[in-house]
Amino acid sequence: MPVPAILTRSLTKQYANLTALNSFDLEVSRGSIFGLLGPNGAGKTTLIRILTTLMRQSSGEVFIDGLDIRTEGRRIRSMIGVVSQENSLDRYLTARENLVLHARLHGMDRKTYNRRIDELLELMGLSARQKDFPDTFSGGMQRRLVVARALLHQPQLLFLDEPTTGLDPQSRRAVWDYIRSLAGSMTIFLTTHYLEEAEQLCDRIAIMDHGRLVALGSTRELKDRLSGATVYEIELERDVDQYATLLRSMQCVSNIEVLSSRIQVTLECWECLSEIVTALNGAPVRSISLKERTLEDVFISLTGAEVRE
Amino acid sequence: MIMRGSLAIWMRDMQVLRRAIFSELVAVVAYPLTIYLAFGIGMQSYIGAVEGSPYSLFIAPGLITMTAVNAAYNESVWSLWFHRRVQFTVESYRVTPISVSEIIIAKICTGFTHGIIKGCAVGLVIFAITPFRFPLEHLFNYLVFLIPGSALFSCAGVISGTVMDKPETIGKVEAVLVMPLIFMSGLFFPLSSYPPDVLPWVRAIPTTALFEGARRALVSGDMSTLHVLQVSVSAVVLFAVAVGIFRRKMAE
Repeated sequence: MPVPAILTRSLTKQYANLTALNSFDLEVSRGSIFGLLGPNGAGKTTLIRILTTLMRQSSGEVFIDGLDIRTEGRRIRSMIGVVSQENSLDRYLTARENLVLHARLHGMDRKTYNRRIDELLELMGLSARQKDFPDTFSGGMQRRLVVARALLHQPQLLFLDEPTTGLDPQSRRAVWDYIRSLAGSMTIFLTTHYLEEAEQLCDRIAIMDHGRLVALGSTRELKDRLSGATVYEIELERDVDQYATLLRSMQCVSNIEVLSSRIQVTLECWECLSEIVTALNGAPVRSISLKERTLEDVFISLTGAEVRE
Repeated sequence: MIMRGSLAIWMRDMQVLRRAIFSELVAVVAYPLTIYLAFGIGMQSYIGAVEGSPYSLFIAPGLITMTAVNAAYNESVWSLWFHRRVQFTVESYRVTPISVSEIIIAKICTGFTHGIIKGCAVGLVIFAITPFRFPLEHLFNYLVFLIPGSALFSCAGVISGTVMDKPETIGKVEAVLVMPLIFMSGLFFPLSSYPPDVLPWVRAIPTTALFEGARRALVSGDMSTLHVLQVSVSAVVLFAVAVGIFRRKMAE
């Protein structure tokens, strides 16, 4: 059985009276794009700080590519790349100098790092601006430079902590395209608040809340797990309230929501649809459509709708 | 311990210093030179000789030492605070295969280098435009004090830059602790001015040993082993404390 890129067992992090991570178990297979979702304060940042060796766990085990994080920190850091939430670029160094410094910290020799820097600057469309300071860059360019810095030493595992926060849609899509192009060549661990981003990019998604893993699977699996319930939207010409009352009285209907001329019907299972159609015989129906569940529905159902501090 | 990380960060800091060397030196030289002109020249006729030397000559070595240690302290404290709290570059260093100790050693070396360069610059200016002279062979003895002295203040700066999260607190510490330690160490007056009961306590402070020892080394070539040891041991102890505090802070 291949060694997973990331493996955590009963991972716990305690800050005084607050448990940021509570017996957190996770396995990320090599070469995958793994997404981690969770509301503010769910423990995502704590988890990523532990995985990148920036913080020690209170208890439990973490292995990166089979290496124990408590004893092999230096080796682990040589094989990971990190794009943190903050740009953390050195504003007193030019774009190229930022990359050179990072290459030196990784112990790369001059010839190798110069070649690699040329490649990455070209790839990120920053060659022409390599002698400029990051302060003069747009948000998207700064983000691309941070990604280039994280890829400089050709890591096996790339951590992307909210990589597109604050970017315009064009820059966001450019980053997505680049992440997709990396798929397979390395393992990518992504945290994001944009559920569309996770849906677009990730093979597997974990949802965490209150320091615990609450769901894990592909986007499809997560949507399927939301419940066996199916939601249909029925649009009527008239008599909406009358038909809403009729549908509400039916056993297979678990919920009804009236939205102007539309009734949103939640069924126990999709097989109940024929009963609904029979009940609506003769009704002025304009359309019946299946309402596709989104990852956001899954996220909200698992973590609640209230705003977190 | 592999020092690759320290070297890379120190080289980065020197690259940044090189870019701004002229403006840095102008700013650094202006303050001690103003003090020298105001006190050393302006007050000289009122004060006369101190411990057998004209007042302007008495304060000159102290001003050079003050510039060096101030530069070492300021560079360390602000650089570390800025890289930790504003630019988050310390975080980006920490996800590379270097140790926390390498980062702290780099920052201490940077502060120390700033101290030596800026101290020498002020020394040269004072030498060029004032009658202050010393035999060249005394310079080595003086550096024996200046090097651990700059390291001592650089370590103090690293501790402040690590512990303090707000810039205004850093300014307060400088006003309440660093400047009084410098000024009360016999920079502008001889230690014999202190009441006899207080004097042993004042002499026990490493900054007093630094300023007193450095002055004697530069002016008369005296090399007080006790003073050198006092400064050097303090620097080593403060280095260990700085590394420990930085490690703990980073683990939070």
